[in-house]
Amino acid sequence: MRPILAIVISAAAALGLTEPGHADPAAGKAIFEAKGCNACHYTQGPAREKTIADQLAKKGPELWYAGSKFQKAWLAKWLTEPKPIRPLAFNSLTEENKGDHPKLSAEEAAKVTDFLMTLTSDVVKPGSVKPKKSAKGRLIFVKKMPCSGCHAFPSRKKFKGGRSGPSLVGAGERLNPDWILAYLQNPKVFKPVKMMPVFVGILSPKDMKQVAGYVATFKAKK
Amino acid sequence: MHLNRAIAALAGLLAALALAVPAHAIDIEQVYKFYCAQCHGLTGKGDGPNVGADFPVSPRNFTNAAEMNKLSDADIKNVILDGGPAASKSPMMPPWGKTLTAEEVDGLVKHLRKLCKCKGKQG
Repeated sequence: MRPILAIVISAAAALGLTEPGHADPAAGKAIFEAKGCNACHYTQGPAREKTIADQLAKKGPELWYAGSKFQKAWLAKWLTEPKPIRPLAFNSLTEENKGDHPKLSAEEAAKVTDFLMTLTSDVVKPGSVKPKKSAKGRLIFVKKMPCSGCHAFPSRKKFKGGRSGPSLVGAGERLNPDWILAYLQNPKVFKPVKMMPVFVGILSPKDMKQVAGYVATFKAKK
Repeated sequence: MHLNRAIAALAGLLAALALAVPAHAIDIEQVYKFYCAQCHGLTGKGDGPNVGADFPVSPRNFTNAAEMNKLSDADIKNVILDGGPAASKSPMMPPWGKTLTAEEVDGLVKHLRKLCKCKGKQG
């Protein structure tokens, strides 16, 4: 290959990297750090929390498995228009969530999303859960287990769920269904100390799959 | 030489104790506030942030001695471990048996007795 051609090709490749739509996790990581996101969110696993005090010391959710937990399109959009997911402030039972999460531009959000989507956990098995509105899943979520006691959910009934946990309204657009199941099955991997009960040994693996599939159908608007 | 060894051994023992003590000293009020207060409220009145107007049940008010006296310590422990249905109560009270340690559960029973200032059904 003639040197001049090689230069043209590599220049094109370099340009290609900066085109919108092309994943740029390194740029996203730089933005994440420059904006100080890691003051509230840690991005390196495994989970560090060992005690309640460790959990309470955190200012925001851990993101070291964000790429396995979130849906990419939702994440990129949310970072540009961050609306509260938790009714209450993180780690608080008395303070409302002020909805003051920093906002990113669409370009920054796309890059940060590329970075966060590289943070994955191999405990999450792709393709293990399909969104499914099963009667069994609903029965467990609303009646047999008290999921709705702490999590808001889309319901036509009067009771639309509790407020101490993250809202699950729109969970079908926000969360990766496979992560929901992995989290129910291996809660300690993701959140060793959390306000939510451990259901391992209480719900069967089959029940967990049905709940995960049911939660994955939750839309943002009814 | 012997004295030095004795001092070193003592220092080692003290260091081990210092490490061991925090692991055993559980702050039961913190445990209560972290897990139970979501529904039962920070002061135990059954008024946690989950309990809005449409909440389907009324979580137990731990400061109500008359109600709390109807339960033995074993009853309370069973409900914490296996959830409301263990005492024919609502499944809105989850089973915490796979979440809490035995020490935390026993500590919580004692903490609830402190909140109700009552001894409960004996035997």
